[in-house]
Amino acid sequence: MKIPVPCGGTTMEESSPSQNLNGQIGPCGGGINTGIKQSDESNQRIQYSIPGILHFIQHEWARFEMERTQWELDRAELQARIAFLQGERKGQENLKNDLVRRIKMLEYALKQERAKYHKLKYGTDLNQGDMKHPGFEEAVPETNTESEAPFSSVSNFTWKQGRQMLRQYLQEIGYTDTIIDVRSNRVRTLLGLNNNEEGPGSGGVNGNETGNKRASDSQGRRTPAKKAQPSNLVEAMMLDTEAAVMANFEFLSGADVDMEDEDGLEDDIDESGEVSDETIRPSSAAKRKANKALMLHEADDVDAEAEEVLNELNLLTQAEVPGGMTQGDPQDWIISTGSGAYSADSSKRGGGDDQVDSTLGLGELAQLTVNNEAEPAYDLPTTKESLRKTWSAKYTLRSHFDGVRALAFHPADPVLITASEDHTLKLWNLHKTVPAKKSASLDVEPLYTFRGHTGPVLCLTMSSSGEQCYSAATDGAIHAWAIPSFPLDPYDSYESSVLATKLTGHTDSVWRLVCHPQREHLLSSSADGTLKLWSTRTNSLVHTYSSEQDGIPTSCDFVRDESDKMVAAFTSGHCVVFDLETGKPVTRLESTQDIAVPEVGRHIYRAVCHPLLPITMTAHEDRHIRFYDNNTGEAVHSMVAHLDAVTSLAVDPNGLYLLSGSHDCSIRLWNLDSKTCVQEITAHRKKFDESIFDVAFHPTRPFIASAGADGLAKVLRLDPMLAPSQ
Amino acid sequence: MKMADGSTILRRNRPGTKAKNFNGWPDEPFEEMDSTLAVQQYIQQQIRKEPSNIELILTPPESQDEGVWKYEHLRQFCMELNGLAVRLQGECLPENCTQMTATEQWIFLCAAHKTPKECPAIDYTRHTLDGAACLLNSNKYFPSRVSIKDSSVTKLGSVCRRVYRIFSHAYFHHRNIFDEFENETFLCRRFTHFITKYNLMSKDNLIVPIVEGDAVGSGESEA
Repeated sequence: MKIPVPCGGTTMEESSPSQNLNGQIGPCGGGINTGIKQSDESNQRIQYSIPGILHFIQHEWARFEMERTQWELDRAELQARIAFLQGERKGQENLKNDLVRRIKMLEYALKQERAKYHKLKYGTDLNQGDMKHPGFEEAVPETNTESEAPFSSVSNFTWKQGRQMLRQYLQEIGYTDTIIDVRSNRVRTLLGLNNNEEGPGSGGVNGNETGNKRASDSQGRRTPAKKAQPSNLVEAMMLDTEAAVMANFEFLSGADVDMEDEDGLEDDIDESGEVSDETIRPSSAAKRKANKALMLHEADDVDAEAEEVLNELNLLTQAEVPGGMTQGDPQDWIISTGSGAYSADSSKRGGGDDQVDSTLGLGELAQLTVNNEAEPAYDLPTTKESLRKTWSAKYTLRSHFDGVRALAFHPADPVLITASEDHTLKLWNLHKTVPAKKSASLDVEPLYTFRGHTGPVLCLTMSSSGEQCYSAATDGAIHAWAIPSFPLDPYDSYESSVLATKLTGHTDSVWRLVCHPQREHLLSSSADGTLKLWSTRTNSLVHTYSSEQDGIPTSCDFVRDESDKMVAAFTSGHCVVFDLETGKPVTRLESTQDIAVPEVGRHIYRAVCHPLLPITMTAHEDRHIRFYDNNTGEAVHSMVAHLDAVTSLAVDPNGLYLLSGSHDCSIRLWNLDSKTCVQEITAHRKKFDESIFDVAFHPTRPFIASAGADGLAKVLRLDPMLAPSQ
Repeated sequence: MKMADGSTILRRNRPGTKAKNFNGWPDEPFEEMDSTLAVQQYIQQQIRKEPSNIELILTPPESQDEGVWKYEHLRQFCMELNGLAVRLQGECLPENCTQMTATEQWIFLCAAHKTPKECPAIDYTRHTLDGAACLLNSNKYFPSRVSIKDSSVTKLGSVCRRVYRIFSHAYFHHRNIFDEFENETFLCRRFTHFITKYNLMSKDNLIVPIVEGDAVGSGESEA
């Protein structure tokens, strides 16, 4: 759109002078005539009129002029693009350097630790007391400081240089604000999750308002933590600035962070800030501040690194961190040190720890980055946005002969197990497509088929270790399976040990199985009217629960925030919270609301507990999802969620999103905070009046899955375009 | 639709349904099944109604496409054969049945591998069923359950031939399991009938003796 407009403008300008020329030349055409003999001759031969030729020449000239300007424009455009790409490359390099630095640091720490360990193990002079953590911690950060300080300052210096060059270059080219805007957007997408720290900064260029709004809207927990530091630093200086520059203040805090970052990428935003006149003052103030902050930063950096090392050693004690860091600091350092932030980002981009794992070859370290990313990254706006729009169908798992009743993800690997009415369970590895003899599409073939049930398999659960899974069928027996180890040949010989054991006790269909997230307990609910708690270590029955007045249990779940309780849904349409030890009902979750069709309408298909809050969510035949407070038993919220019976619920591991499946053939993703539907996906076909039986979130990877009556299981994943992976 | 909800039957197995009521809904006429899985629904409904009435089960509804009909039946057979495989797992050990045999005449090689292999009988059974599941669910050969290419229909024959060997092995080597299973499901009889009706295998290969017309308890009468 932009190119035609300036083009039109220039042609207009070009044509008007030519008309002027025309006007001048026209009248005295005769005088000039002698000067242009050649044209005169040709004129005589082919009978051209002088005005005609002149007009033609003028026309041509205008045309060439126009083309020239257009080319110039194009050239400028391309130059801008080159600069842009160069800048991008620079950014990538910085990023790489950062990562390398971080890797080096971690390696160093590891070496230190090994040396220490070796010393402790074989040296005789050290006593037991030294083995304790504090001595450990103090030693490691210290050495780190020495090794790191020169290193980071060097990289800082080169960054600054590069930055300066970029700045000059940009000014030469005459970057427009819009291009910078586009650029910062690009950088934002490039950096994926991380750059929300740029959010306020880049917003400051053109759309301060929107930028800030976005940041404060979506940044969630992170914003306050981030603001805290910079605002303190700048507050004194900013007291005299007018209230009208509040937005600028926001920007400033962003810029300030950037300065501290010593980050080449974000510099463009700084730069743009300086270019735009209104922010010159604040940003220069920020600069001054930043110079002071540099020393602070140096210290900060060390702190941060110390903390990283501590993390790596799995020592979570905040109190022992030197410099008296507060609770908010872990988040802070991720923002204020480029290295921390970027590694979190890159690991996210790697779609999990795979990439990091492979490059480092250090399982623990990879774990570390994932851990870092885990808490703050989830609050980032981009995550939210991507969750909003970009779950897209990835794999269709077709191999069952009849409806898939249940599915369960492996806690860590991209492995899924499905349980079907065709009496079998199948194991799928989403990353390992069987050497496809047939098609190149993303069809996954099952790696293993669990045979043992003699009726439709109704439910399935995976232990938190991922080593066992439990399934149960209409015959009432619960089968405990040892998940075969990878790699698997789908046509390997039969191992009878895969079916580890059977838990017998129920006398009718078992409809729901749940593994306790921490303890070695398994909970089952059966149509025989009872719920049973099993020990998965001894494979024996621990306790039996039932509720006379409520009838047959339909679903159950462990209460996540209180590990000694569970909630069970009954055919009466009510849920009851039980104490696991005493077996006594503690709270009844009752809805005071009228239910349209009393008999069937209130039937609860699924009850799940929020992973963090004392909330139980229930899926009902009458198309509702209801929310209950586990402590008071009151209904907190109720909503019509689907066009037909809601059959299954799953909460993501962070407790932010709810996934629901329904017999209306669709699955829906809900924001638990606002209780609004974020995405709807039509997933399965109907068989009789049933469509979707189960949905699940992968505990650690960006996968969700749905199981359908049509015999298919579908796996969706976050769109890799927006959710950085690879 | 919504108005009718109160009165119409919702054919659903809700959580908490007892095993004896599983799928225990009234029959739905084939004409009213509007799902893409109508044929499967219809076949399963007929089997549930009376598993021994093989003639009725194998009678397609009017104007039913024969390819789909055969395909859906074969799916159902493979699915129900899981039941036989589960029973065999307990008794048909690799140590005892080192080869897939029925009569002593043939040793069957397992086609699931790159080069056909002499798998023990239980592995042959499992691999054949797994392979059949993959083929019958293959997006390439059977992308739709409403219409099936003629070229894919020809694949059904080889699946039938392999799957039939499971029956014959069980019959000749694990007779008690076979009889028990057959009395419950009438599966081998139905399968034989199916094969003959649609001429999916040569008659010479049908080595498990089946007495025609004897509805119940024919398993024991064979010897």
